[in-house]
Amino acid sequence: MNCQRLQESFLDYQDGTLAAAESAQIRAHLATCPTCQREWSALREITRKLATCPVEEPSPRLREQFYAMLDTHRREADAPSPFALARGRLDRFFSALLPREPALQFAFALALLAGGLFVGSRSFTPPAGVAAAPADATAQTEIAALKAQLNSMGRLVTYSLLQQQSTSERLQGVLATMDLKTPDRKVLTDLIGALAFDPSVNVRLSAVEALAPHADDQLVRAGVLSVLPRETAPLVQVAMIELLASTRDTAAAPVFDRLSRDEAADKNVRDAARRALALLRDEQSTPADKTSAQSNKPNPSLT
Amino acid sequence: MLLSTLQELRVHSEPATVSFAGTVDAPSDHDLMIAVRAGEIGQLGELFERHHQRLYGFFVRLTNQPSVSEDLVQTVFYRILKYRHTYRDEGKFTAWAYHLARKVAADHYRKHAHAPAATDPADLHHHADLAPDSAARAAAADDLAFLRTALARLPLAQREVLVLSRLQSLEHKEIARLLDCSVGAVKVRVHRALQELRTVYFRLRQGKSP
Repeated sequence: MNCQRLQESFLDYQDGTLAAAESAQIRAHLATCPTCQREWSALREITRKLATCPVEEPSPRLREQFYAMLDTHRREADAPSPFALARGRLDRFFSALLPREPALQFAFALALLAGGLFVGSRSFTPPAGVAAAPADATAQTEIAALKAQLNSMGRLVTYSLLQQQSTSERLQGVLATMDLKTPDRKVLTDLIGALAFDPSVNVRLSAVEALAPHADDQLVRAGVLSVLPRETAPLVQVAMIELLASTRDTAAAPVFDRLSRDEAADKNVRDAARRALALLRDEQSTPADKTSAQSNKPNPSLT
Repeated sequence: MLLSTLQELRVHSEPATVSFAGTVDAPSDHDLMIAVRAGEIGQLGELFERHHQRLYGFFVRLTNQPSVSEDLVQTVFYRILKYRHTYRDEGKFTAWAYHLARKVAADHYRKHAHAPAATDPADLHHHADLAPDSAARAAAADDLAFLRTALARLPLAQREVLVLSRLQSLEHKEIARLLDCSVGAVKVRVHRALQELRTVYFRLRQGKSP
């Protein structure tokens, strides 16, 4: 056993709480190790001195103060507050009113619950049926008026957004038109205007996307067709060609023809124009079979 | 009522028969405290008589300020009254009292952050004077003054563990529960504190003795 560990057991050794074997070990070590001997005698001296420390006596003031405090508390306890009195009375009242047996208490609670449910189901009919019926007619008209108001508000926001200086705001304006289910002519012309004159490719591309759902409108088709020859960005050109091709409008054929042979145009644009032309020709040869033409789009550029 | 049934249950639960200072006939600390909790506030007087001196000893060793210590003892008993409802059936009164006492001491030190200035060497004379006529008395009394001074110079945690184990004679097991550590840890702390006390004590005696 090393000296450090042994010294940590000195206290137990002194108190006599060590096992006999360990005590013997310590005794044997102490006989041979002068360092531990010194440590041991020093520990004994200091603990003996501590043990002889006289017990300190508090002054009589402590006892006086304590009993003064105790008296105050006892008086408070003897004179219960009016609140506690009232509570005691209430408790007694209810305990007289209610049954004492736990089983009866349980039965009483159940009966109370059942009674409550019964009364509740009798006196209250479901609120939905009561409220909805009389307000129906007026509510309908009001809702319609509100919807109309909302629609016009949306349009107003769209107009103002399309006039914005910043690209992102104009883009937002174009995207906002997609939310309008039935945009009026003003919005559509604005969109075509954006397609024709907006300097940003992104805005023009979004405008094509926004116009696509309304491609059946003659105004939209004519607008896009007139803008297409002036468009320079291949992405927008392809999008416009696809929009026009999807409507099967034969009026676009000359423009497609010109584009497909335009050497200055992008290869993708020419391909798209050629595809659209083939589609239109296909359409003319079998005008009745619309669905089959749509499902197998001929793709000359690939073949 | 259900509530009254509960109350009965509580009273009937087996109280731990632990007594500290009581004789065979006298009610145990625990019984007295249960009575205090039940509203017999007067019984606290008996508990005060049994324990106030030990608690005073604890505080006076810890703080070295007799009059402050009296106030702290008073505070402990005040809190015993105030929190008597939290005393548990399986509780042990001395352990609870020391628990409260430690909190009272901690509150005191928090309020007077400068108070444990006992470690300041400049306080040496002041503390030596705690034993009023130490200089005039024999060497034994002088020794005691050195011991007190040395104790006062220990860090608070070391002083506390020494006071609890060597002066208040609490068992290591009880101290471990109070300090929320293992019995082994308490032994190590006591050992270190004793070593430190010894070092400070011998240094003082060498420097001061004639």
